[in-house]
Amino acid sequence: MTKRQKIVFFSVVAAVVALLVVGIVLTNGLYERDATIQETMKDAILHGNDKISLFGLPVNPGLISAYIVTGLLLLFAAIVRIFVIPKFRYVPGKFQTMLEQAVGMFDGLARGNSPHKNGVLGAYIFAAGAYIFFGTLFELFGIPWITINGESVTLPAPLSDINGAIAMGGFTYLFILIGGIAANRGRGLLRGLKEFSLPISMSFRLFGALLSGMLVTELVYYYFALSFVVPVIVGILFTVLHAVIQAYVLSMLTSMYYGEVTEPPVKKTKRSKKIKRGSEVTV
Amino acid sequence: MPLNIDWQQILLHALNFVILFAGLYFLLYRPVKAFMKKRREHYESMDAAAADKTKRAEELKASYEEKLAAADEEIAEKSRRAKAEADEAAAQIRQAAEAQAQAIVEEARASAAREKERMERGARGEIAAIVTQATEKIVLHDSASEAYDAFLNAAEKDDE
Repeated sequence: MTKRQKIVFFSVVAAVVALLVVGIVLTNGLYERDATIQETMKDAILHGNDKISLFGLPVNPGLISAYIVTGLLLLFAAIVRIFVIPKFRYVPGKFQTMLEQAVGMFDGLARGNSPHKNGVLGAYIFAAGAYIFFGTLFELFGIPWITINGESVTLPAPLSDINGAIAMGGFTYLFILIGGIAANRGRGLLRGLKEFSLPISMSFRLFGALLSGMLVTELVYYYFALSFVVPVIVGILFTVLHAVIQAYVLSMLTSMYYGEVTEPPVKKTKRSKKIKRGSEVTV
Repeated sequence: MPLNIDWQQILLHALNFVILFAGLYFLLYRPVKAFMKKRREHYESMDAAAADKTKRAEELKASYEEKLAAADEEIAEKSRRAKAEADEAAAQIRQAAEAQAQAIVEEARASAAREKERMERGARGEIAAIVTQATEKIVLHDSASEAYDAFLNAAEKDDE
């Protein structure tokens, strides 16, 4: 690229940016906000006014997100199952390597943390990890949806809905409890019940982490001045980071607790207290 | 409910996750894991076959080395035996040669002794004949000096 071409290129880019900024500023006054930041954030947490109709049932937007994410993941899995897996080779290509790495990572996590019983655990944390990761990334797309009140709402991450987080945490606890009972009967049940705080901690950890990300994003988008450059960092970097972190944390915790409740009991060896009288020494 | 917690929606979320879990397990997790297991078994069988072949080759090598060692031992034994036989044969030949040489020497000595005796006997006869002749000449023809000269001449002639 010659010097003249560089000057032309940067001039065009600068002109386009300037025109866009002018357009954004001029069109800002056309849309009046119908809620304060407090109301917006309260709605983001409680979903009091932005219910969506699901076959006539008013539900939070997070549930719609959950169904869309599940649908997309199952569609992807079905396509892979039908078109890709039958063509798997012993020397894998890039996509096959990626799939094998994902499955192998969760399988390894299950085997490492629960060496005694891990048949379904690997599949469970694989599904949970995929759901949390892709569910969190889903909010990046900002898919709009119409609420019951006729307003537009952006679909959030499924687990930023407290009902979704409680379902995930509670179901995971139930899975651990059933695993413990299957492996160690009554002892497994007691070990599971001992961790009674687990569903609450898991649920609210997920909810808190994902909601905080969403609130920060809401906050950033609420103010006009923050709508340049900052969303790139907040929206993408933070979302990707906590998608990875939360998926890893829940998978790791699930496999660790599952390993703990399914661990076979250690038999204590009884020490012989019998003392031979003949061997006693009298002074 | 506080925080807008809705049990119905919790169950709907749980149902959604159960469907996802079952779907991912049957469509993705299990087939991929089954393929990975199949590949691992394939390479393990290849590894086992290679190990078996290596073991058999090592056994074969050991047996060959054993055979080679036995052959070396046999060669050394045969060599030792041949050397012993050769030494024995050489000793016998040497002894025979020494005996033969001894016999030849003794035969030569005996022959020399016999020759010496014969020559002495001959010389004694000739001396006697010369003395007889000289005595006859002295007594019958010449004086004593002539006779003595004739005796000396006759003796010198004999020596030649």
